[in-house]
Amino acid sequence: MDVSYAAVGEALVVAPVGRVDEASWEEFGRHLASGIEQAEQQSLPTLVIDLSSVDYMSSRGLRALTMAKQEGIGAGVSIRLAAPNDVMREILAISRYDRLFAVDPTAPGNGA
Amino acid sequence: MSEPTIVRFWGTRGILPVAATAQSVRDKIANALVVARGQGIASYEDAIRFIDSELDFAAAATYGGATSCVEVECGDEAFYICDMGSGLQELGREALRLVRRDRAGKFNFFLSHLHWDHIMGFPHFAPAFDDDCEIVIHACHADAEDALRRQQEEMSYPVPFDSWAARIRFVTMTPGEEIVVDGLRVTAMLQDHPHASYGYRFVDPAGRRIVYSTDSEHRIDNMEREDAFTFFFRDADLVICDTMYSLAATNSTREDWGHSSNLVAIDLCRQAGAKRLALFHHDPLLNDEEIQRMHEDSLRYEKLTRAGAPLEVLCAYDGLEVAL
Repeated sequence: MDVSYAAVGEALVVAPVGRVDEASWEEFGRHLASGIEQAEQQSLPTLVIDLSSVDYMSSRGLRALTMAKQEGIGAGVSIRLAAPNDVMREILAISRYDRLFAVDPTAPGNGA
Repeated sequence: MSEPTIVRFWGTRGILPVAATAQSVRDKIANALVVARGQGIASYEDAIRFIDSELDFAAAATYGGATSCVEVECGDEAFYICDMGSGLQELGREALRLVRRDRAGKFNFFLSHLHWDHIMGFPHFAPAFDDDCEIVIHACHADAEDALRRQQEEMSYPVPFDSWAARIRFVTMTPGEEIVVDGLRVTAMLQDHPHASYGYRFVDPAGRRIVYSTDSEHRIDNMEREDAFTFFFRDADLVICDTMYSLAATNSTREDWGHSSNLVAIDLCRQAGAKRLALFHHDPLLNDEEIQRMHEDSLRYEKLTRAGAPLEVLCAYDGLEVAL
């Protein structure tokens, strides 16, 4: 799974690419944990997960988001989702994850 | 060609029985009449055609409100019944009619667990009053008999357990050890639920596979264990799954309540190579429209995340029959 990290303003932006499913959810989770660690080390209060290049996310990937949220609370880093494409927007609505997370229409540095 | 095995849903709600109110029935009729305006409906048959072609499920029917009770009809030698929720009362009345027409009066029960909504129908099970009937209660809980006796103690119910006319015995199953019950192969699996719950995998003599997995939480900190469920569900013709809450609810406000979601059920079934999923154990707080929306969401999620063969996603309702 390709993932990029970039500090933008007060946030660290993590941008995964591709499917997050049964084969990739653990790697996805490790990237989120790494992002939280990097944000904490750089004293950035927010981790933004840029969903614009995620093809789809299965229940395991969504639950990895929840684990990251819990880890973030321990590290003092809040998690926000950003720039969901049409598929991801639907999946967030169907799973009701759009009620569990703040979802921004765009990611920082991309017109936010 | 062997006779089909039929899975019949007598109760599909979780936690508490619910019933349609007078107002909700009036609303359905009023809305249907508005849609039917100008359709020239002159007979019952016309009306049925109109309902089938123009109205969605929630507009024309109800998912029902009886708690968990599912029958697996497989031959005439015995009845096979998963759980004893309030849906068991209706099953019992129908079964007794069949027994009085010479069907064998043997009833094999399989209990997922002992919470009230899964056993409350037993005191109202008509065949228990008949001394021609035999009732065999399979459970993995060693305290199953205590639970059934306790709900018929005088403070809870007027008819004591020992007054039943039918012959009743208990069989304690061991998870993972297959047994054969009147020709049906059965294996149980431990699930995550307060006081534990157990799923059952049935294989009929023709090799058809049915899994009953209700009241089962799939935790975010134990996703590795889902491989065991994938194996338990493998190549099933039908998986009946607890889908009571949204995925978000199961790992936030409803965490530790012992239930699962439509999304986890779909993913497990897909990984397992199952053919059909029945959404089951509906939240009693949801009305028909909300359950239908959950079904539509489930169909959409299955399509959005499909990578191979499609998974058929049904939404169980009281009275649904699935022929396998």
